Amino acid sequence: MDLSPIQKDLASKCYSAVADTCDDLMLKLASRGIRYQDEWPFAIHLLGHVFANDLNSARFLWKSIPLEIKESRPEIAAVWKIGQCLWTRDYAGVYDAIRGFDWSAEITAMVVAFSENYTKKMFQMLNSAYSTISVTDVAHFLGMSEDRAIDYALQHGWKLDSSCKMVIVKKPKTVTERKLDPSKLQRLTEYVFHLEH
Amino acid sequence: MESVEVLVAHIQGLSRSPDEVSHLHSLLKQSEDALRSHASRLAPFLSQLDPSIHTLGYLFLLEAYSSGSISGEEASGFLLTVVEFINSCSAEQIQLAPEKFISVCKSFKDQVMQLGVPMQGIAPLWMAVRKLQTSTEQLTTLHSDYLLLCLLAKCYKAGLSILDDDIFEVDHPRDHFLYCYYGGMINIGLKRFEKALACLHNVVTAPMTTLNAICVEAYKKYILVSLILNGQVPSFPKYTSSAAHRNLKNYTQPYVDLANFYASGKFSELEACIQTNQEKFLSDSNLGLVKQVLSSLYKRNIQRLTQTYLTLSLQDIANVAQLNNPKEAEMHVLQMIQDGEIFATINQKDGMVSFHEDPEQYKSCRMTEHIDFSIQRLMALSKKLSSLDDNLSCDPQYLSKVGKERQKFDFDEFDSVSHKFM
Repeated sequence: MDLSPIQKDLASKCYSAVADTCDDLMLKLASRGIRYQDEWPFAIHLLGHVFANDLNSARFLWKSIPLEIKESRPEIAAVWKIGQCLWTRDYAGVYDAIRGFDWSAEITAMVVAFSENYTKKMFQMLNSAYSTISVTDVAHFLGMSEDRAIDYALQHGWKLDSSCKMVIVKKPKTVTERKLDPSKLQRLTEYVFHLEH
Repeated sequence: MESVEVLVAHIQGLSRSPDEVSHLHSLLKQSEDALRSHASRLAPFLSQLDPSIHTLGYLFLLEAYSSGSISGEEASGFLLTVVEFINSCSAEQIQLAPEKFISVCKSFKDQVMQLGVPMQGIAPLWMAVRKLQTSTEQLTTLHSDYLLLCLLAKCYKAGLSILDDDIFEVDHPRDHFLYCYYGGMINIGLKRFEKALACLHNVVTAPMTTLNAICVEAYKKYILVSLILNGQVPSFPKYTSSAAHRNLKNYTQPYVDLANFYASGKFSELEACIQTNQEKFLSDSNLGLVKQVLSSLYKRNIQRLTQTYLTLSLQDIANVAQLNNPKEAEMHVLQMIQDGEIFATINQKDGMVSFHEDPEQYKSCRMTEHIDFSIQRLMALSKKLSSLDDNLSCDPQYLSKVGKERQKFDFDEFDSVSHKFM
């Protein structure tokens, strides 16, 4: 079975493309009536969906995997655990799921990339949702020890109120582009023309 | 059998130029009955033909073969033959006999479903739809078959590539009903509730003289998705058919009741209603959606708070939304902020939540691009509507009807209809 498109994505670290590549290849193999399930890299396929934050597709894929394969390949269940924690919004559980398994060489790099991505996303979420938050909770959401969490927060400009163990969030200044270029003028002319006729 | 051999020889000889192919076409049409009578013995003849060059001939033989009964052992071979055919056939030759192509694909779909391998049919049917369509704006009969296989195989994402095309031409109204209904189900599975609502809306408001089962099922899901998305069910628009307007609610009473209890905002009453009607929801396969409606009530109650308060304590939110404690309220609010359903900031130190206005100022480049894109689409749609209107004004049937209904005393005024049509 030729799985080279998937391997290519993994080698070039295009992790967000893995899910689509896997889907297309799987449908192609299925159309030829080949029993692909035994050799198919379900763990990578599942992680691809999780990486793209497409939990719906991850759920449907998990449901379609035959029971014998789920039981004989514990790595698949371990990836699914990450997806499950994301689905139930068990924010800290995701880190436990990532760290609680000895990943094979093929998938390790992708898991590490996902983990870094996730931490960044969690931090952004805290930034947008909280004005003050306890140190314990920051550590909980970022999957770090309290000291490391404080360092991470201070690095990003937050302030620590050590009397009540709270961190004060500093929202980053978002720069949104506002320049208009001449082509917009052309388009506005087209709109006015259309409205007049 | 001799006639079949002769026919095969013709196919091999007459497939080079478009003239030869149309001559072949008439020969094939004359031999349809002969082919059907030999249906079960046609398989070996297929191997003598190349589907990419002899597409039309191959199609006629394949269609005759599939019209007969196919035994269990032949089934998987048949599937592979059809897959190979669809992948390599020539789209121009297919367009000469589209009904035959549709018939082959339908037999294929039936076999795939009978053998319990819907996933096998997805990639080939996608290719079949693309080859059958004259443009991506045309709805074919195969669209709904493709979506059905995606639903059965739980490959919902695969359905999106077809669903995201804008449709402007519909061959048969029945295709439209099924296509929009399955499209709604796929969007529901992927939690794209707005798109699901649009699809289901198209089923419910489609022109029809009598109510059909697809419309009733679609309306049930329409109610549930409206509640999840907007917290209320809109009334029927003016262009809904009177058949739908008068009768839909009679066939969907449990769902209408659910909507009424939802409007009251009381969790316990809604739960009681769901308990009473659980059997019905289960047999309609809507229980999952109903549960989502229930959990959306929390969100709705919290969203209502943003309209009244600027800041509120987590304890108060917990009380209003009937949650157990402030921590649960905090998690709910966090989830809603993450999903973009409210704009707020949580202050853990004081246990308060401050609600904000939507920070979007519609001034950024990205937003301008988005608005631009939408305006372009609207302009294209507007042009299509004008050309449709122009075509209709020239239609002889329309003109004769208008001519008959003219008042006599308008004669001297603006004469829009030629006398020929009176």
